[in-house]
Amino acid sequence: MNGLKTDAPFQHSGNNIAQLMQTVLLCLLPGILASLWFFGFGIIINIVIAISFAMIAEASMLKLRGRDFRAQLSDRSALVTAVLFAIAVPPGSPWWLVALGIVFAIVVAKHLYGGLGQNPFNPAMCGYAMLLLAFPLEMTGWHIPNEIVRGPLAVDSLGIPIVTPGQEFLSPLSWRGFKQALLLSFPFAASNDFDVKQFMDGLAMATPLIEFKMAGTSALLAASESGASLFARESKTAWEIINIAYLCGGLFLLYKRIISWHIPLSIIATVFVLSALFYAPGSVAIYGTPYLHLFGSATMIGAFFIATDPVSAATTRPGKLVYGIIIGLSIYSIRVWGSYLDSIAFAILFGNFCAPILDLYCRPRIFGHGAHSGSRTPEEPAK
Amino acid sequence: VNIASRISTKFFSSATVFARKTFGGIQPPTHKEHSLRSQIMSTPIPAQLSIPLGSREQEQITLFVETGERVCKYQKLAVLHSSPDGSNIPVHAPTSGMITSIEQSCVADHSEQHQLCIKLTTDGSDEAVTLAPPADYTQLSRAELISKIHDAGIVGMGGAGFPTAEKLSSDRGAGFEFLIINAAECEPYITADEAIIRERAEKVLLGAELLRQASNAQRCIVAIEESKPDAINALKEILHADGQAASESQRHCEMVIIPSKYPAGSERQLIQCLTGKEIPADQHPTDNGIIVHNIGTAYATFEAITEGKPCISRITTLCGQALKTPKNFEALIGTHVDFLFDLCGIDSGKNHKSILGGTLMGFELASEKAAISKTCNCLIAANDSELREHIPEQACIRCGYCAEVCPARLLPQQLLAFSKADDPSQLTNHGLADCIECGACDYVCPSHIPLVSTFKENKYAIQSRQNSLERSDYWQQRFQYRQYRVKKEKDQAQSKKPDLPKKIAAHPAKAQQEQPGIISKAQASRDIAAAVARVKARRSERDGSGNEPPSKKGRDR
Repeated sequence: MNGLKTDAPFQHSGNNIAQLMQTVLLCLLPGILASLWFFGFGIIINIVIAISFAMIAEASMLKLRGRDFRAQLSDRSALVTAVLFAIAVPPGSPWWLVALGIVFAIVVAKHLYGGLGQNPFNPAMCGYAMLLLAFPLEMTGWHIPNEIVRGPLAVDSLGIPIVTPGQEFLSPLSWRGFKQALLLSFPFAASNDFDVKQFMDGLAMATPLIEFKMAGTSALLAASESGASLFARESKTAWEIINIAYLCGGLFLLYKRIISWHIPLSIIATVFVLSALFYAPGSVAIYGTPYLHLFGSATMIGAFFIATDPVSAATTRPGKLVYGIIIGLSIYSIRVWGSYLDSIAFAILFGNFCAPILDLYCRPRIFGHGAHSGSRTPEEPAK
Repeated sequence: VNIASRISTKFFSSATVFARKTFGGIQPPTHKEHSLRSQIMSTPIPAQLSIPLGSREQEQITLFVETGERVCKYQKLAVLHSSPDGSNIPVHAPTSGMITSIEQSCVADHSEQHQLCIKLTTDGSDEAVTLAPPADYTQLSRAELISKIHDAGIVGMGGAGFPTAEKLSSDRGAGFEFLIINAAECEPYITADEAIIRERAEKVLLGAELLRQASNAQRCIVAIEESKPDAINALKEILHADGQAASESQRHCEMVIIPSKYPAGSERQLIQCLTGKEIPADQHPTDNGIIVHNIGTAYATFEAITEGKPCISRITTLCGQALKTPKNFEALIGTHVDFLFDLCGIDSGKNHKSILGGTLMGFELASEKAAISKTCNCLIAANDSELREHIPEQACIRCGYCAEVCPARLLPQQLLAFSKADDPSQLTNHGLADCIECGACDYVCPSHIPLVSTFKENKYAIQSRQNSLERSDYWQQRFQYRQYRVKKEKDQAQSKKPDLPKKIAAHPAKAQQEQPGIISKAQASRDIAAAVARVKARRSERDGSGNEPPSKKGRDR
């Protein structure tokens, strides 16, 4: 205050946003590779489309808003949004669906609210939720890669495909699998439109939890019987591996201290407790085991990568715990009692709604205030 | 006697002292090894000294010398009146020489970088006033110790510069539970304390013991970071020595090794680390039976009591990559910074930044012609490569890393948002005043936001707003009272028969001052009604006369 400019501190840890985002991307890699293994090239195609459109949208928005475009484009935040969004969208979705969602995410959910750091809602989830509401059919079909390659399987009365042991197994990572995935994403390029249409209509299946939501007890039993081993390239068990892969990436994020343990732990604990409480074997299938709820859908990626998006999450320690509990409650409720097909996106968006108020009211006790008396605020605000 | 201090004394009697975990903090690279390679060196006597007087205001200083006068080493030159209640700090001559002028000059000081300085041209003879050390310092009473510390002009050597004698006697006679000797020295680059302990452990501990006697504290705790093994061993050797003499004088002294973490040496954080007690924000540690002194202060106390030597020099760290031989100097107060840099072989060809203090809370020096003050613990001549590069500020992504490291458990990300929204009430509510400006949040921020500068600015703005509000309230009251008094005198002159009880009632401020609570509610409401009526009458009078006040006219245009 003596009229001199003070620049202290003169040292810096070297943290920067680009590096942070890069680590997040790196931690997403195991999950992406697992998806690639089970569902084929669809996810990679999604990511490529999403990144291209995200970059175009980000660059034009920065330009329109008159920002320093090169510096802000290199912070890699749009890249993370694009990848998270691409992971959430079913592989094999048409290119325009992915493009529409990511442009909505970047333009509306991010930049119209003021850009990086200002968006109250997670942009990737906003884009996903918009698509889910506008295109529910396209958004809930996950193609079984085997079938993409070898043609339709017979389907039983409950809609579960029947795999006969003798049928030839073709890898989704084969050249043919790649071609099929491209055709699904870019249907206009197909030489024979009819084939693709057939895949689109007949070969899609839902994620396990969506399916269980729709099906009764017998479907659950059938699933567990046909479930084969974990590493079989059956889409049902694929979800387990994918979730474990995301869990590993998430644990690495924790280890690198990019995220704190509060949000993932409280989400996972809440979902676990609720699903254990309501677990009812033999009744409606959706009241499945905690294992099903934690590893049967996108719970892990939601808990570690999407709910922890710092901009839209609560930032105080107690606030983060409450935020995680709110999201966990919402995930389970929407999944089990709600009418939407996907729970993660809506649960996280609902958590985003609560975050600002949580930050205001769930505050740590300031050092030297109310250690014994219990009052939290230091003094009455000045007029 | 302060009740709070008595209660806390009771509370602490059972408290055990050990290093507890404290919240937050960072572990930056310390860069301490360079300046610790050599021993503490004393400087040759510089040709010129600018002895800082501690203030830029002429009125706060009583000078005993004048321009052109020759002074001897240790001679008392001036007294700084540091606070309105009469406490003062004497300033002594570091060496003999001629006073050439007394003028404003640049000073390497944490609180004020422009002070009135006595410019001394030294003569190199170092002719000294004879010191009068006490025959047996162990026999001195507490009051005598404090007065000797005061006469030596000792202030807090850690950087705050609070007069040591004043702090020692701030217990109002009750004594202290703990004297904490702060040797944490957690900030990067600074090694002055570590060097003193390493080389002069015995003197330092004796100084600590003298401070303990002067503060009437029951226990003395030396807190040192675990990253200083040499200094710890030096202390251990003396504290755990079996020699009788040592154990006798160090009976009350113990050493606690605390984790290396910045800002472990922050006073309130250190107290919490050692005792587990959080000092309430509106109180001082001294209100809670705890007194904290820097280890440099303990050394200065040792010299002042045993040798009778006033505070004319201090140990200062000189470091940074622009210096060829970084080291610790025992430098005379008033030595110019560039003189010290030259002694360390500064690479003048390269650009460098000169910083006072450590790299996390230091200041950039306005000029290298600055003179060192009693609080100048470290001077850094830093190359650009070793400091943070200038990266433009990016948007806050609310990652909350700042909140994880804030030792005061504040939420810098929220404070930043409220700063940007210019919301002083929320800033106050979120504890802006509790920010200790340690810079940990800045250090970890991935967006390179200058958080501490923002908080300092806002603190200052809120404080000055508060001050001006208080001032205007005060003057408004004075003005209203004057108006009232003038009117009353006029009324009295008009009315022949003054009604005494009514008069008191009509003068609520005065009545309340004299006899609080004497005005009943009914009376108060009558007064208010009367006042409203008076205002109405005055207004109608003014409107009736048709003379609008000029200000209103101006507004209408």
